[in-house]
Amino acid sequence: MAEVTALDPKKFKEAVKDKSNARLKMWLEICAHCGLCADTCHFYLANDKDPEMIPAVKGRKVLEALRKKDKIDEEFLEDFYWTIYGECTMCRRCTMFCPFGIDIATITSTGRGLCVSQGKVPENLKKTIASYYEHGNQMEITQEEWIDTLQWMEEELQEELPGATIPIDKKGAKVLYTVNAREPKFYPMDISQVARVFYLAGEDWTMSSKGWDDTNLAMFAGDLKAAAYISQLVRDAAEELEVRRVAITE
Amino acid sequence: MGRDHKFQVVHSVTLFAEYLREGRLKLDKSVFAEERCTYQDPCNVSRNGGCGKDAREIIGYLCEDFVEMEPYGDYNFCCGGGGGAIPMAGPFRERRLRSGKVKAEQIRATGASICITPCHNCYDQIRDLNKEYELGIKVLSFKEMFEEALIIPEELKAQEEDEDEE
Repeated sequence: MAEVTALDPKKFKEAVKDKSNARLKMWLEICAHCGLCADTCHFYLANDKDPEMIPAVKGRKVLEALRKKDKIDEEFLEDFYWTIYGECTMCRRCTMFCPFGIDIATITSTGRGLCVSQGKVPENLKKTIASYYEHGNQMEITQEEWIDTLQWMEEELQEELPGATIPIDKKGAKVLYTVNAREPKFYPMDISQVARVFYLAGEDWTMSSKGWDDTNLAMFAGDLKAAAYISQLVRDAAEELEVRRVAITE
Repeated sequence: MGRDHKFQVVHSVTLFAEYLREGRLKLDKSVFAEERCTYQDPCNVSRNGGCGKDAREIIGYLCEDFVEMEPYGDYNFCCGGGGGAIPMAGPFRERRLRSGKVKAEQIRATGASICITPCHNCYDQIRDLNKEYELGIKVLSFKEMFEEALIIPEELKAQEEDEDEE
């Protein structure tokens, strides 16, 4: 993957314009810096109550970034990058305690989107996004490997439950089950375990040969264009198979 | 945006709770009777997904000795592995493990031997925290526990090949 890209102030300004909606501005301007969010954040508590870790302070950095527009500089962006990717998991716990209900997760996601405009995204997330585009999942699993894994897990399960199956592309099934691509990669037994549940519950279910990864790391990366593409993959599978429900894995 | 979904999106936790409620699955509660269990609410399953109640319903069928973390449910803390923190890896790993200190302390305070969590991010993070903070617990998903506790009707089981020896 590409190394750190050169600063592109024009693109940064465009991203600011694109991201600046009324809701976001209202949140950033209404924050009274009351500090109630401080003790709600696991980063703040785990880092000896470092004031830099207070959610409102992180939100303030996003406000600063939005105000910089094309006056963005390397030093600011570097610090911003570590805060926005490394010091907020967008868990929304702070929002539960904010008197105004300010959604820091959305503010963080906006900040990440600004970084995306500069190509400044953690390398490993970039790799997963490329993999979604190439293979339809975050783990570079080919369709052949996916089908092989499903068949292998079906055989494993049948040793104990001869009637159990892992249906693939069963049109009109009630439930389409989708997984985290880490399952076929690192935890294939998850698949036989869920097949056992469906078999014993008498569920009419199926897996899909494509659009089967329900993770969306582009959403976490702040790359909303890629995120929309990835969610469309699952949606297409669900519509093609005419299922009533799409179940997402544990 | 703007298009109607022809399908409903449902989390496994809600689906599993339905099966148990409707009597479609039966669990043997004695399997984990000797273990104290606690539950990690994944942010996007409980707080942001609204499935916290369904998870407790499953636990009611599965665990004899269940202790909540403090706080729990919608107010539970993030494990530190969310928002893409696990796959970011590399230089982000150290920050992730440090931020998980809050979760590690919450788990330790329950005295639990099993931490259940229905999220792969939480699962991987808590397994790392288990080592980093020496919690001495087992981290399990619901379906892993089901594998051991589901009651399987005799007629569905494979016939033992050496049965005729008995």
